[in-house]
Amino acid sequence: MRHLRLGDRLWTAAVYVSGMLIIGVVLAIFYYLAGESRFAFDRKFDVGFRLALQPAKGEYEADVSLDPNATLVTLNREGSEGLDEKEETLPLPTLESLVGIASFATGSPLTGELDKVDPEQLYRDDWRPKKMGSEETRFLVYGFATPEYKEPTMALAWDKDQGFVIEETPYALTLELLRAPEGVEVKPFKVDLKTQPKGRLEIPTFIARTDADRTQGYVFELVASPRSSHVQAVIGGMASSSWEPTGAYQRYGFLPLILATVGLATFAILLAAPIALGTAVYISEMSSSRFREWAKPLIELLASVPTVVLGFFGLILVAPAVSNTIAKALGAESGRSFITAGIILAVLLIPVLTSLIEDSLRNVPQSLRDGGDALGMSKAEVVRSIIVPAAKSGIIGAHVLAIARAIGETMIVWILSGGTPSMPSFLNVREALANLVKPVKGIPDTVAIEMGNVDFEGVHYGHLFTLGLLLFLITMALSLYANQLMRRSTWRR
Amino acid sequence: MATVIDKAKREGLEARDAQRARSSRRYLGLLTGAAVVTFLLIVGIIGTILIKGLPSINWAFLSDLPREGMTAGGIWPMIRGSLLLMFGTMLVVLPVGVLGGIYMAEYAGESRFVGLIRSSLVSLAATPSIVYGLFGLAVFVLAWKLGTSLMAGWLTLALFSLPVVIITTESAIRAVPESLVEGGLALGLSKGQTIRKIVLPNAASGIATGIVLSTGRAAGEAPPILLTAGIYYSTGQLEMNLETLRKPVANLPYHLAEGYRQGGVIPESIIWGTCVVLMGLVLLINLGAILVRARSRARSLQS
Repeated sequence: MRHLRLGDRLWTAAVYVSGMLIIGVVLAIFYYLAGESRFAFDRKFDVGFRLALQPAKGEYEADVSLDPNATLVTLNREGSEGLDEKEETLPLPTLESLVGIASFATGSPLTGELDKVDPEQLYRDDWRPKKMGSEETRFLVYGFATPEYKEPTMALAWDKDQGFVIEETPYALTLELLRAPEGVEVKPFKVDLKTQPKGRLEIPTFIARTDADRTQGYVFELVASPRSSHVQAVIGGMASSSWEPTGAYQRYGFLPLILATVGLATFAILLAAPIALGTAVYISEMSSSRFREWAKPLIELLASVPTVVLGFFGLILVAPAVSNTIAKALGAESGRSFITAGIILAVLLIPVLTSLIEDSLRNVPQSLRDGGDALGMSKAEVVRSIIVPAAKSGIIGAHVLAIARAIGETMIVWILSGGTPSMPSFLNVREALANLVKPVKGIPDTVAIEMGNVDFEGVHYGHLFTLGLLLFLITMALSLYANQLMRRSTWRR
Repeated sequence: MATVIDKAKREGLEARDAQRARSSRRYLGLLTGAAVVTFLLIVGIIGTILIKGLPSINWAFLSDLPREGMTAGGIWPMIRGSLLLMFGTMLVVLPVGVLGGIYMAEYAGESRFVGLIRSSLVSLAATPSIVYGLFGLAVFVLAWKLGTSLMAGWLTLALFSLPVVIITTESAIRAVPESLVEGGLALGLSKGQTIRKIVLPNAASGIATGIVLSTGRAAGEAPPILLTAGIYYSTGQLEMNLETLRKPVANLPYHLAEGYRQGGVIPESIIWGTCVVLMGLVLLINLGAILVRARSRARSLQS
């Protein structure tokens, strides 16, 4: 070998580094998306239950959440906005301050023995401090009636807090009697709050005569114990069917987003495929080379219109049309829905798909066309029974690639889909049809919209990165599969 | 259908020929119909946007700053921002993309490892822009502490356009006739010298087309800019110094996306005008690329 000069060596090094960079970028994307997803695992699962000790026949019998003396026992949840500093540490109310007949107090989560609880440290509610649920968490609830209460029995009522979805919580939740007051006969009980999230139980009255008696009465206990490991719980949360990252009880279910994205891509490809296939075959097989010369660039011109512009076009011109026709017929109000986004997605896919299919038709060797002609077949027969079947795997590959494009499309879905995550419903024909005019929210648009309002490196941020990683893996798998199909169809002459 | 064939069987070859001709005509009709739909869509959509948007475009619209909280005035800062993003991206992607393309065309050869590189390239080319946006946010904005800035936008958009630049560069280099390369080697040039002095100049127009096309597309792509470089409200003069690189920049796609998010603040005529400017920017780049391609094809036919 000839001795290489320094310039040549540097050159070779630079070229190789750039080549390796391609793999590096893929690995880096994977690494960082997965890395930032770890913040999703900081997730705390909220629990919220309202408990109240009520008169046996009271006005809030049916609805605990209306009872002003009910106590909200919460886990991992920060207090509601309206609570000010003072209320935050509202101590156990004195008998004097209680005008009601029965009342309640929660203590801090129980640590150690019941006897060692300091009454001075008990608060009526302690909403603010976040309580961890990583191991078994127990809440004490003290219950007593004030002296003016005369009935022989009173009732313990409980209900889950509004917005709290008990089916999705990763904890086993029980409510039990920890201690009965001295001299009161009561059967011990233990309620599984999962099977009985709302209920009412009559127990003998205990009256606190002095302030010291307040902590000598009933003590109930709400126990939250994890049923699975934390990682399982977070992943289980992702697999659930509701995406509400900003509600009082946050829910991070990916299912509605995944279904919307997959559904939109399917709808769009079904709409676009016949048109694109026909156009591609026409351009490739039926038209003169002159026509082809300007037709292909024209089609690529539509493919290059920025999607935010296409989205706006759909918003002003297609959404009102949808709203006045199909949405009205199916009882929906807005034109911004699944079908509108799907139609404009199809408009985007038609040029993309046409161009890809045309390429794979062009790859079919001329000899096959000549062979068909020699058999006396008409042009249409040659195309239909020879050329298209010969290019089949390339055509399928083109569709797969177009699906990947539709799955990753952000702006069109953002602008046109209505932006509300929802699960499709197939109970009957009418509901199945109504899915078309429902507002939806897909994966890419959710990431783009919500990333603007999140705390960096928080739980929501972590979940958005997990969605991004999911998107990356899906499109990667689709593109590799499409590439394999298209390579198979490359004819070697 | 089936009954028709039965009938054809009964009535013999003549009827079958008639049937074949009919079916061929029907097939051709379907194809023509599909093509007509496609071209009507293209002309309809681009035409509608032009008709709606062109009336709002005049010199003042293109050169003025926005006034009265974006409800009046021009969109010059956004145009300027988009051009800045595009040219910066071009500068960043040029060396890496071209060297990567040279590697793929001239150095890679065929091996299992190169197969892995090709698969990576294919995956990257199909990766949605929002994923690049997330990556740019995690790496350039947060980990490298560049913040939401022009610099972070350049790097993110450069990554986004990298696979296309590499692929087009590779095919431009492969299109250079083998005889030229052999001529260079016969003159005693090293491989590197042959590539630099003979292959690259011959592939230059193809490479340039690829870079301009992909960065043009990147500049129209909202999601990466949204997460790494965008700012909605900009009325001030842009001072060109090093600090500019660390600041977010107003630009056309972000302006449209955000204008939509704010919901009805910006009058429709301004949005249509902005649409036309953004589309025009990207379409002009495309048209230019098509012309370059056509000219180079004509030249290669002549020689």
